[in-house]
Amino acid sequence: MNRKEIWVYLERNPEEIEDVSLEILGRAKELGKKSDMSVVGVMLGKEPGNLGDIALKHGADKVIFLKDSLLESYSTEDYTKALFEIINKRMPEIFLLGATYQGRDLAGRLSARLRTGLTANVVSLDIDTDGYLLSGVPGYGSKVLAEIICVRNKPQMSTVRPGIFSKKLIPIKAGIVEVLDLDLQGSVSRVRVVSRKVEKHPDLSRAEKVIIAGNGVEGNLDMVAKMADIFGARLGVSRPIADKGKASRELQVGSTGYSLNAKLVLIFGVSGAEHFLPGIANCQTVISINMDRESDIFEYSDYCVVADASKIIPILLREGGDR
Amino acid sequence: MRNIIVCTKIVPKAEDMNFDPETKTMKRSGVENQINEADKNAIELSLKIKEKNGGRVVLLSMGPPFFEQYLKIGIAMGADDAILLSDRLFAGADTFATSATLAAAIRKIGDYDLVLCGEETSDGGTGQVPSQLAELLDLPQMLFVSEVDVDGNNLKAKRTIKGGYEIVESGMPAILSIELGINQPRFPDFKRKRWADKEFSLTIWSASSLEIKPELTGTSGSYTIVKRLTEYFTHQRQRISVEGTAEQQANKIMEILREYG
Ligand SMILES: Cc1cc2nc3c(=O)[nH]c(=O)nc-3n(C[C@H](O)[C@H](O)[C@H](O)COP(=O)(O)OP(=O)(O)OC[C@H]3O[C@@H](n4cnc5c(N)ncnc54)[C@H](O)[C@@H]3O)c2cc1C
Ligand SMILES: Nc1ncnc2c1ncn2[C@@H]1O[C@H](COP(=O)(O)O)[C@@H](O)[C@H]1O
Repeated sequence: MNRKEIWVYLERNPEEIEDVSLEILGRAKELGKKSDMSVVGVMLGKEPGNLGDIALKHGADKVIFLKDSLLESYSTEDYTKALFEIINKRMPEIFLLGATYQGRDLAGRLSARLRTGLTANVVSLDIDTDGYLLSGVPGYGSKVLAEIICVRNKPQMSTVRPGIFSKKLIPIKAGIVEVLDLDLQGSVSRVRVVSRKVEKHPDLSRAEKVIIAGNGVEGNLDMVAKMADIFGARLGVSRPIADKGKASRELQVGSTGYSLNAKLVLIFGVSGAEHFLPGIANCQTVISINMDRESDIFEYSDYCVVADASKIIPILLREGGDR
Repeated sequence: MRNIIVCTKIVPKAEDMNFDPETKTMKRSGVENQINEADKNAIELSLKIKEKNGGRVVLLSMGPPFFEQYLKIGIAMGADDAILLSDRLFAGADTFATSATLAAAIRKIGDYDLVLCGEETSDGGTGQVPSQLAELLDLPQMLFVSEVDVDGNNLKAKRTIKGGYEIVESGMPAILSIELGINQPRFPDFKRKRWADKEFSLTIWSASSLEIKPELTGTSGSYTIVKRLTEYFTHQRQRISVEGTAEQQANKIMEILREYG
């Protein structure tokens, strides 16, 4: 009998596989071992290139490439259609996607078409004693972790937050890339992309050192960015700073932004709201600077500096060798 | 412009919620509620679209009867109508069962050009409802939208994607999820609020008033269940207070920064 399968959606960006997909492959491999399932990476596009091999090196036992010129760039409806058909044919036990803009867009639509359960923004994955996928989701900011299972239907679907698992190079025996020529004959997409503007940002969840600017230092954003530069740290921001367009969403830390895994994080003028906290939960050392002694952020900090950030920042800049 | 339906959920304020490790449930007593923040942004956007293009703004919500008082705040902001889907059968719905129920109501309302949702709720926080709803209604979807321009039957939207944004177009009807924080929701109008409280009557639909099999709603219509709740965020921080003058505090920070290279 064929082994049951865990499928992982391999998101392309477009010339590489998104880190989150490789992170999930690593975790899927561990779950596969535990429950005797094989791990299959699924990618859509025009040509597989060498991306299949990269997935094989990161934990996939096999890669399925759904090939059609229509699939060159992402569209909700065409991708849903292609995946729906192959999933219905091969019925994997589990289907995991990154909780990225694209992953979430696709997973919602696909799960509804498949009439199966979907869990969003998962921060832990396990297999329970009955063989169900256990997906952990922080609730109410981050006070509780709800472990959710999909009790009816297959595949059991989840979107997994970036930066939760680490990608691992796994020695392969002999993985294969199966290319399926789809011949879709025309797009079903009703949404047309008129233009696109993207910048490449290195993944914030991998940074070793991060300096975060919150609302309290909105006026000093340039100085904080400069400080990050001087100290070899990456700049992060709380959501309102990104909302106001003062920094890219790619710099946002929190439940709807990145989860950091930094060794050291310095936080200026952030109040420590429920939705911010998941972003720093996995950091080793947290230093916070806030004017308000009663601020919640101090409960989640190793070093609590009650001070006006605009007084501290210039000194740090000077000490760091800025002139 | 035909109806603009705004899916609106009432959520507890996160800071009021507390987990009881003994009973492994959330303590809800004394908790204040509010219109989900992103939904408020969606309501504001719908009112702007209406001001420019006409149409009626209809709020649609699934939840217990106490939602009514909050939906009236939406009416006072300027929405034309509000419908509450309320029935014991709807309780315990996951996002799919929620979407199925909302979809049945949207079909019943009919005559719509746009369905707006918030990007996600602050309590459940899945952001799944908009795309599941779009699939069930067979509509084009555009998620994480920050700007909308309606021109005749054509819709142009700016949506956030990884690393930036896209400008996308589609016909209508279509379903959009609206990014949190994209606008400043207007305050409820005081006079309209008084009118809403006294004279406006909310439409309430139960399961039997919708064309949906009861077993497709609530717990029985759900595919996922919460297996257990555990306390999260257990990481204990040292909480060392760094005192002194700004100069001394900064020196301590420098010391730690140097430790980390
Ligand atoms: C569904 C949902 C998702 C969300 N996702 C996120 C997310 O991913 N990330 C996120 O960050 N937020 C998120 N939020 C928003 C979150 O709830 C808070 O509104 C936000 O985190 C507040 O940002 P802040 O702490 O920078 O600003 P504020 O709450 O305004 O706090 C500013 C802080 O700066 C301090 N301060 C002011 N001046 C100074 C000074 N001179 N020196 C030192 N300190 C000073 C103040 O004491 C205060 O503590 C989300 C909200 C919702 C509803
Ligand atoms: N019970 C509900 N009633 C009305 N709208 C809802 C409900 N649940 C979710 N929504 C809508 O779907 C969006 C995303 O919700 P969620 O998928 O739960 O994060 C919300 O911002 C609302 O617009």
